[in-house]
Amino acid sequence: MGENRATAPAPLEPVPFNIPNAFRTTLPNGLRVVIFDDERLPLVSYRMAFLSGDAADPEERRGVTSAMMSMLTEGTEAYSSRELAEKIERLGASLNASSSDDFSVVSASSLTIYGPDMMQLIAEAMFAPTFPEDELVLFKKNTIENLKFQRSQPNFLANEQTARLIFGKHPYGRISPSPADIEKLERGGLEATRKTNFLPNNAVFIAVGDVRKDEMLMQIEEHFGDWEAGDRHVHKSELSNERISPSLTIVDRPGSAQANIVISNQTVPRNHPDYFPMLVMNQILGAGASSRVFMNLREEKGYTYGAYTRFDAKMLGGSFEATAEVRTAATGDSLKEFFYELNRIRDESVLADELNDAISYLTGVFPIRAETQEGLTNLLVNQELYGLPHDYLQSYRENVGAVTVEDVQRVAKEHIRPEQVALVLVGDAREILKQARSYADSVEIFDKDGGEKKVTDYEKSSDEPTTNVAGDWNLSLNFMGSDVEVKMSLVQDGDSVSGKLTTMLGEGEISGGRVTGKDISATALTEIQGQSIEFIINGVVTDDSMAGTLSAAIIPDSLSFTGVRQA
Amino acid sequence: MNFELPPLDIEEYKLGNGLRVVLNRDLAVPVVAVAVYYDVGSRNEREGRTGFAHLFEHMMFQGSANVPKAGHFQYIMKAGGTMNGTTSSERTNYYETMPADQLPLALWLESDRMRSLAVTQENLDNQRDAVKEEKRLRYDNQPYGQIFDIISSMIYKNFANAHSTIGSMEDLDDATVEDVQEFFRMYYAPNNAVLVLSGAFDTEIAKSLIEQHFGDISSQPAPPSIDVAEPSEVADDYREWHDPLAPLPAFLLGWKIPPRRTPEFNALFLAGKLLYDGDSSRLYQKLVKGEESVLQLFGFTDERRGPSSIYVGAIPKPEQDLSSIRATIMTEIESIAAHGPSADEMQKIHNQLINDTVRMRQASITRAQQIAEYSLYDGDPSLINHELDELLAVRPDQIRKAVSDFLDTENRSLLDVVPSGQG
Repeated sequence: MGENRATAPAPLEPVPFNIPNAFRTTLPNGLRVVIFDDERLPLVSYRMAFLSGDAADPEERRGVTSAMMSMLTEGTEAYSSRELAEKIERLGASLNASSSDDFSVVSASSLTIYGPDMMQLIAEAMFAPTFPEDELVLFKKNTIENLKFQRSQPNFLANEQTARLIFGKHPYGRISPSPADIEKLERGGLEATRKTNFLPNNAVFIAVGDVRKDEMLMQIEEHFGDWEAGDRHVHKSELSNERISPSLTIVDRPGSAQANIVISNQTVPRNHPDYFPMLVMNQILGAGASSRVFMNLREEKGYTYGAYTRFDAKMLGGSFEATAEVRTAATGDSLKEFFYELNRIRDESVLADELNDAISYLTGVFPIRAETQEGLTNLLVNQELYGLPHDYLQSYRENVGAVTVEDVQRVAKEHIRPEQVALVLVGDAREILKQARSYADSVEIFDKDGGEKKVTDYEKSSDEPTTNVAGDWNLSLNFMGSDVEVKMSLVQDGDSVSGKLTTMLGEGEISGGRVTGKDISATALTEIQGQSIEFIINGVVTDDSMAGTLSAAIIPDSLSFTGVRQA
Repeated sequence: MNFELPPLDIEEYKLGNGLRVVLNRDLAVPVVAVAVYYDVGSRNEREGRTGFAHLFEHMMFQGSANVPKAGHFQYIMKAGGTMNGTTSSERTNYYETMPADQLPLALWLESDRMRSLAVTQENLDNQRDAVKEEKRLRYDNQPYGQIFDIISSMIYKNFANAHSTIGSMEDLDDATVEDVQEFFRMYYAPNNAVLVLSGAFDTEIAKSLIEQHFGDISSQPAPPSIDVAEPSEVADDYREWHDPLAPLPAFLLGWKIPPRRTPEFNALFLAGKLLYDGDSSRLYQKLVKGEESVLQLFGFTDERRGPSSIYVGAIPKPEQDLSSIRATIMTEIESIAAHGPSADEMQKIHNQLINDTVRMRQASITRAQQIAEYSLYDGDPSLINHELDELLAVRPDQIRKAVSDFLDTENRSLLDVVPSGQG
């Protein structure tokens, strides 16, 4: 082949991908039915989807829809929680119920031969749950523990603040109920919510896979034909956008090796005419590994393992987010590049090549997403729940292909708003505050439990002179009741400090340390049995004496020390 | 119950340079998956040279003679495809799923880097940094992020098995560009790889494209043979790990078990399903329900060509007695060792196996991956058509005996995770 190899080969003849139209009908009680026959493999997927979700929870019963859905499979008139789990798993099948902000869905999937069993179990879970008291108590306990657990995850902390900042008091502004909300849940409330939400005129039933239309319709009629319609009054809160200037919110995670960055603003809902241009714009800017922010922050600058933007559109409004987890020291530089990219896509039109690449990506992966029954079913569920046109799946690629360079710049200008973004950082506040401060008009700092901290505690006070900490220090460390000698020699240049830490475990290199007034903070990297261990040193220097703490991942609690400077 | 799955269409052949090729044609959706599996994983690394297999997974995206740095992603994405690469103890894999008409592009990209990867000092430095960043993100900065690497080192005695795929950062720092070039020459040779196509393609066109792109890549002498043999005892039965990010204490139990696809491994894989898979599993019903002592329960088998392992772990609720939770786990294990699974449990396992197999067949990429493993590990890609039967044939008494021989024993590793930070 030789020189032929120099350029990428041309594609073969394109192979068309024709998704047949689903069969649609509505039962007399208002239940919409969608049947999509796909006989490739002996599998079926069913979804009973309701047009109401967590956002409809009344203020005094936050979390009730999600709890009610989860509890549907925890005991019914015919089966205990355990019997139901055993029955489903004995068929090798799955039955789940869950909710999101806008919707609630009961899902089942199984081998075709067990399809009728699953239809019966869906009806049992929907119409005959007993919400047993002991299961509800366990659910509440576990949910509360999980909520606590999630507070150790930087992503959760970042998402929690982001939602609050861009959606404000609207239910979209809370990504989970609070432990106190969960505490308050009661069986009566769950049953009331089930009655309000579970109306045929508030639902769509979707069957996908190895199903025969007529047979399927008979089963649907059998289980859901007598279901009585009711007054559908889904509570909808107004969504507004009150942000007028960029703000910085830091969740302090002292000692964190990385900073999670989320830069976000509110944007358009799922049904908005700008949906397709937004999809394409987001693809060019940051949705994938060949997008602008990834190429810039990861490939060129190496600040992070991945940098992305995300466009998430819900029923009433959406969010645009730029996110990355970066090395703590690269926080400020990463923000600079993020803002550069956010402004560039607004101020300059994208190249025709970039547009074409984004379009061919989005149209090309579409069949890949529809390859599995799960993937196809999700596409159909979204189409129905958001009320998208009946030919949405068939015209998707055409709609993506119609987006122009002008559309991209217009939606970037309208829907990315650097002048009102919420900038959320989760990481070591002391380190990242100074790097990020200049990007916002206001600053707030929280601990991981949501407690607000004083910003000034994290700032270097400019009027306090930087203490001289240079020299050789003899430290006495309290280790399990006995005193251990540790030596530390420091070299100071302005407010930065480097040097050596010598412990009984060996010698460690101190680098990147800081002096703030009388406070010194530094880390020493030591090699112990082939593992690299970081010691974190925090001290206060008064003349020739120092007091502070030494901590490391291998030590359960930080050790306190006192020391003197050698003459 | 009787369940006949039509066999997948499998054609296997070898190029002149030793590249093993497997074609699985399926026209259901106009999509084609291309998977290249190299027979190199952390098991091939020796002391002082750890992390190379995984570093290479990064290097493979840094450009080759005709593809610029990071061009691989770009080409794939622009063509509407998806791709990735992963490293395990057993192999390093690279795969793409493409619109059917873009098969030539995928083959061009995979062959260009097999033929002419740019192993330069600059790429090496740059990817060392990326690996360090990945380590910070995926291991050091995650609660419980390091526990699976630690317990592997407790279970296995043989260095080839015991060390992690992410490897030692010091080893990576010590690597010279010559070391890395040599690693590439030896392990990234056509005769050390398997190429699988699954999905919509014309067989004759595919064969001719494969020959055109891969046929003239030179083969290399076979890489040095390795020894992954292990004594049956675990290396270390207890360790405490202070995790500065863990919000709650946790523990992980691990056992050393026979290699994948042995009757014992298959029986233990199924025993694992009974113990920890799903809401009706024994341990879920005992610990998450029942005692209500556990917040998160997890378990899995680590499937290797050599000695493999099985794990059960739990994050208990606060203030729980961890040793009593472990006693409950051991009681269930003893019960299976004594009585074997029930008839209901066997029915459950069978239905789940059938369901999992049918689901795996839906996507071209999961088919390609399974086929590649059977081809690389067993020399027989058509095993994909027999794996279900193999597992369905496991008898309750084999499960009982395997659990009795391998799990109901003191020969196991226990890792206690102690939160040591602010959580």
